[in-house]
Amino acid sequence: MKNLKVTIGILAIAFITLTVSSCKDNKKNHNNNDGHHTEMKSDDHSNMNHDNSDGHHDNASTSHHERDIEANTQKNSSTTPIIDAYIQIKNGLVADSKSAAAKGGAALLTAFSQFDMSNLSGDTHKEYMEILESAKENAEHIVKSPIGHQREHFEVLSTDINDLITLLGTEKTLYQDFCPMANNNKGAYWLSEIKEIKNPYFGAKMMKCGSVKKQIN
Amino acid sequence: MKLYKKISVTLLLVFIGIQFIPKNYNQSNTVLAADFMTTFDVPENIEAQLRVSCYDCHSNNTYYPWYNKIQPVAWFLEGHIKEGKEELNFSEFGVYSKRRQKNKLKSIISQIKDDEMPLTSYKMIHSDAKLSKKDKEVLEEWLTNLRDNL
Repeated sequence: MKNLKVTIGILAIAFITLTVSSCKDNKKNHNNNDGHHTEMKSDDHSNMNHDNSDGHHDNASTSHHERDIEANTQKNSSTTPIIDAYIQIKNGLVADSKSAAAKGGAALLTAFSQFDMSNLSGDTHKEYMEILESAKENAEHIVKSPIGHQREHFEVLSTDINDLITLLGTEKTLYQDFCPMANNNKGAYWLSEIKEIKNPYFGAKMMKCGSVKKQIN
Repeated sequence: MKLYKKISVTLLLVFIGIQFIPKNYNQSNTVLAADFMTTFDVPENIEAQLRVSCYDCHSNNTYYPWYNKIQPVAWFLEGHIKEGKEELNFSEFGVYSKRRQKNKLKSIISQIKDDEMPLTSYKMIHSDAKLSKKDKEVLEEWLTNLRDNL
């Protein structure tokens, strides 16, 4: 009698789980379709890489610095919230504060989500989308990572923001700084709102490392 | 004693029950044109290393261990794979923008260098996935070179 009960119990549970999970299968088909239809080569950037005209880093180093910002960019106030959030991250890292940098990362995500891209078109829109995708990913990591990782993502994010300013312009006065020791001695750029060097890659350890390469506006 | 018995019988039944839940296998027979190995010219030793150490969680094809037949282990692995693919999917690497490819390569290099990847739990079971100091150097050098020439 007891055995019968147990058997019935097992069958009942098996039946229920099968019923409940049968809808799970539908999702699977979905997943497998991903990526098939988006095949494309994205090498339209290659022509603007590698202009190491300032000679400060050789070819062996990562040529992050994809395009030079004109000393005077087009005046554009729509990028200000994005740049302000970036500066907030930068200042968090200067202060060796993981939480302040994380807050800046969250602010950057908000700023991007509120950015009005309706008047971007064609190539500008395409490039903006690529910058956006990359910057968002970096910001997400800055929100959730320990400070060492935050700094790695900040280095790439600096390229993104740099390229964003080249693409769309800014009304802010900014300084493009370079620290040759950052990024495993390959060197790395960052943007600052102040002329004085305050290093976000090392913080208090090497606050003064770096120099201003360019002033924007 | 009676209660204890009831609880263990229930747990046993739940354990047996969940075995019937269909598993989602991360396996696909098609190699996408966007696969890392198709997108780039990858030397054999590097390819083998990446496949053994990374592809199980970072591609559309997982080589499953036997214990994946048992729940809830399978769910645990599924979670890892889902997370891993969201972060980096070698099977779709070619679809990423140049900018994103560069970012990913940078992250791959630093994760390997800092011994954060492959995961310790993964290496415990897959001893062949472990990277020796020399392996790491070779990978790092090749990946860095790839990244600089993108």
